[in-house]
Amino acid sequence: MTASQSRTLCERILGLVKADSAEVSVSDGDDIHLRHASNDVTSNALVHRTELSLTVSYGRRSATLSTNQLDEASIRRLVDRTQAMAKLAPENPEHMPPLGPSEFATPVTWAEPTAAASPATVIESIRPVIERARDAGVDTAGYLQRSVGGSTLANTSGLFVHQRSTTVGFSVTARTPTGRGSGWASTQVTDIRDLDLAMIGDRAIRKALDSRNPVERPPGRTTVVLEPAAVRDLVAWLVRSLDRRPLDEGRSFLKGLADGDPVGRRLFGERATIFSDPLDASAPCPTHSGGLPLVRTPWIDAGVLETLAVGRFWAKQRGVQPQPHPGNLLMAGEGRSVDELVGMVDDGVLVTRIWYLRSVDPQTLLLTGLTRDGTFAISKGKLAGPVKNFRFNISPVHVLARLVASGVPTRVLGSESGSPACVPPVVVEDFNLSSVSDAS
Amino acid sequence: MFRRKCDRRDWLKTATVGGVAVLAARWDLSAARATEVDDRFPRLADAALGRARSLGATFADFRIMQTETESLFVREQMVQGVSAATSLGCAVRVVCDGAWGFAASEDLSEEGVARLAAEAILIARAQAGWRKRRVEIEPLPKHVGRFDQPAEIDPFAMPLEKKVETLLGITAAAQKSGANFCQASLEQVRERTWIANTFGSRIAQSRVRLQPGFAVTVTDAKTGRFATREGSVPPRAAGWEHVTSLPLAGDAARAVEEAREKLVAPSVEPGRKDLVIAPSNLWLTIHETVGHPTELDRALGDEANFAGTSFCTPDKLDQLRYASDIVSFRGERTEPGGVATTAFDDDGVPTAGREFFIVENGVFRSYQMALGQAGRIGREASNACGYAESFDAFPLQRMPNISLEPGRDPAVTKESLIADIDDGILVEGNGSWSIDQQRYNFQFTGQVFHRIKNGKLAGMLRDVAYQGNSVDFWNACDGLGGRPSRELYGALHCGKGQPQQAAPVSHGAVPARFRGINVLNTAEQAGGKTAGCEGCRGVVRRWA
Repeated sequence: MTASQSRTLCERILGLVKADSAEVSVSDGDDIHLRHASNDVTSNALVHRTELSLTVSYGRRSATLSTNQLDEASIRRLVDRTQAMAKLAPENPEHMPPLGPSEFATPVTWAEPTAAASPATVIESIRPVIERARDAGVDTAGYLQRSVGGSTLANTSGLFVHQRSTTVGFSVTARTPTGRGSGWASTQVTDIRDLDLAMIGDRAIRKALDSRNPVERPPGRTTVVLEPAAVRDLVAWLVRSLDRRPLDEGRSFLKGLADGDPVGRRLFGERATIFSDPLDASAPCPTHSGGLPLVRTPWIDAGVLETLAVGRFWAKQRGVQPQPHPGNLLMAGEGRSVDELVGMVDDGVLVTRIWYLRSVDPQTLLLTGLTRDGTFAISKGKLAGPVKNFRFNISPVHVLARLVASGVPTRVLGSESGSPACVPPVVVEDFNLSSVSDAS
Repeated sequence: MFRRKCDRRDWLKTATVGGVAVLAARWDLSAARATEVDDRFPRLADAALGRARSLGATFADFRIMQTETESLFVREQMVQGVSAATSLGCAVRVVCDGAWGFAASEDLSEEGVARLAAEAILIARAQAGWRKRRVEIEPLPKHVGRFDQPAEIDPFAMPLEKKVETLLGITAAAQKSGANFCQASLEQVRERTWIANTFGSRIAQSRVRLQPGFAVTVTDAKTGRFATREGSVPPRAAGWEHVTSLPLAGDAARAVEEAREKLVAPSVEPGRKDLVIAPSNLWLTIHETVGHPTELDRALGDEANFAGTSFCTPDKLDQLRYASDIVSFRGERTEPGGVATTAFDDDGVPTAGREFFIVENGVFRSYQMALGQAGRIGREASNACGYAESFDAFPLQRMPNISLEPGRDPAVTKESLIADIDDGILVEGNGSWSIDQQRYNFQFTGQVFHRIKNGKLAGMLRDVAYQGNSVDFWNACDGLGGRPSRELYGALHCGKGQPQQAAPVSHGAVPARFRGINVLNTAEQAGGKTAGCEGCRGVVRRWA
């Protein structure tokens, strides 16, 4: 749907609304989901998708309904039903009226070659990964997602924003036939011409072969080199916890880190610098969040907490400007390669990827999870062979506090989170590898 | 539950089998849309399957799915979320030249579904020349029929005011008991599916499920500590009667007391301890340590890139002593109220008569399987575990209801299990859960932990996690509550696949006793030297 088409659709919907105010969002796109396992394509899908969501308000009463049916009758039903539900909804004292118009930077999330790539071309792109795996005698399982879409937000206060994006994400796990060696690699690009799947596949295959027959290393606190995928998952958890309201309400981990207001205080190591910037081409994202402009924002600068997210209602209560959560995650690095970081460690562990990250104690932001798909001992600055995976119990606060070196930021996918991220590998001291896992 | 014959225009009646509720006007519309689909389904199925066959499909199925959800969220005495969503669309799945192809769209025209069939064929054919293993599926029995899951009171027909009043009643009870913060929620889902395939099946189904929930938080301004107690409220394939059957307001008030006690409870001494785990916690342990490891697609490597593989490889069938001999786990999709319960899975396989033991008297007996998987391990047919979360999702093998069979002695209770422990812990409610990608090493917390001393409860503990290896853990089970102590819990959103799909699943459990389980102190786990950041007093003090 073009900007013009979506504007026409939104205006038509808003024109049907009789409530005090309304906001409509429309998204559409064409996705290709391509999975493979045991070196053959498995489940896959070519999906044409549309979603229309409408929020209407009568004073402080509001309701939100969504549908994927855009014919005239369905739209009228949606408007009628949303209004009926909003009238029945009790007043929400924290209700905020729709935002007015804003200026939004043009996002850098669109690449025409990605949008133009045919399904057959996209499917063919994983062929080298599979054929090289067969040649190497390993099994690969992977997932490629090509997404082409647009989203529009418009409301009765005059806001209108339409943005488009294209992404191709790919991750692959290579496993040796005995199952005793496993490696993983990923990438995400905006422009399909930047995709080098053979290189990603080779990296996973190499890790699988190198990680065969791991030995058990005793658990305990040790120095770790975390590759970017592991860094991303841990740091993203911390960044999305940087929120003003829970702090004011006395239920944030930040409460335990500083007396008084933690903003402006050095809570982390001086090598920790995290920011968001929708226009950063390394991992771009839309330039608005719910109608609030997203701009370059420092969250942690050289260990100093710079910014907390503040919702619109809470910002009004405090008399400050609202601050949306970041749309992407960017972390500064010091330019070293993973090999160079390994070279700095006398005795430790290299972690490729982490898995099943869950909160254990919100008071300290303690998380637990496991290493997987490439865990290696480090001895005297060199990789010293594969070791069995570990369960860890660690707070990302600790990760940023005890970060002693970092490398080149890289755009990677996470285990369970999806927003674009470009983060470096890092060295962290005193990382709590709490028990050994037999998984390989 | 399966009714073979039903008036095709009977959606309105069948949605309220008990005749208690009258559908509100706003929900008539989706039911009317379903009736329209009823009328068009045969023609659309013929168009899609005919096109797929003509292009070379050796198997094809066509599925229409309408999903409706409604979500309510209240915080203290504020209604902060009233939302609903509906989606309707269809998908064509084919096997062509030994490969899967799948395409989906919201376009329900005959031309549209024929185009989907062609796109699905295109995807299958794009693998030609480099595909090695051919997709083989077993023959499916032909079924023509309809299943409408019973619900006494259609939750979508309940007045919104009544639902909001119920949720605000929960938070009011919590506030009255002294909660600093509290929230309550309700999620309800209705799925309608129409499935046709080239074996001649034409199946229509509808299912309703819902889950209320709440959480309370107390804070201590002096110490800066806070504690949250989440409610242990199961989902059910049922109507509003499930909500009214639960003492939610009373539970919320009690939860505040428990949260307050958690704040000041002594920290646990770590080490090996005997545990009694209540069904409100054990269901998720079953899910993670028995449910996921025995998914055949995982064991075969199909999920290696995301959810992982499994320690439970096919060579362990009928060989592995998964648990002590008092322990059996049964999979089925027929238990009334189970949120995985249905008459046919999304592959078109009937569920009745396909109940199976995953573990029987401690021995691993069977995997969960979807279409096209059984033959890969020399078994005959799927046990009806296919599910797709939405019209545009490829059906995957998903968990049926998986339950721990009660102990043989109906007189055994939680209390009698506790009575046989000198020094241990009673675990209640789900906290956090994490397990490795082959399902060996797990670590779970809970909502409430009671110390057991000399066979009796002796006050609350905090900072508790239990950690172990799945098979070792279940082999350490030496006591099970009897059938009267069975409770049915579960989840509406079990994630799996890429792109990730959510599936509903129920787990029945009885209180169970485990000997010598590794208990961690999570506060100690957070400890450690954290020098290097000036001004971070909390980090240094708390972790030193």
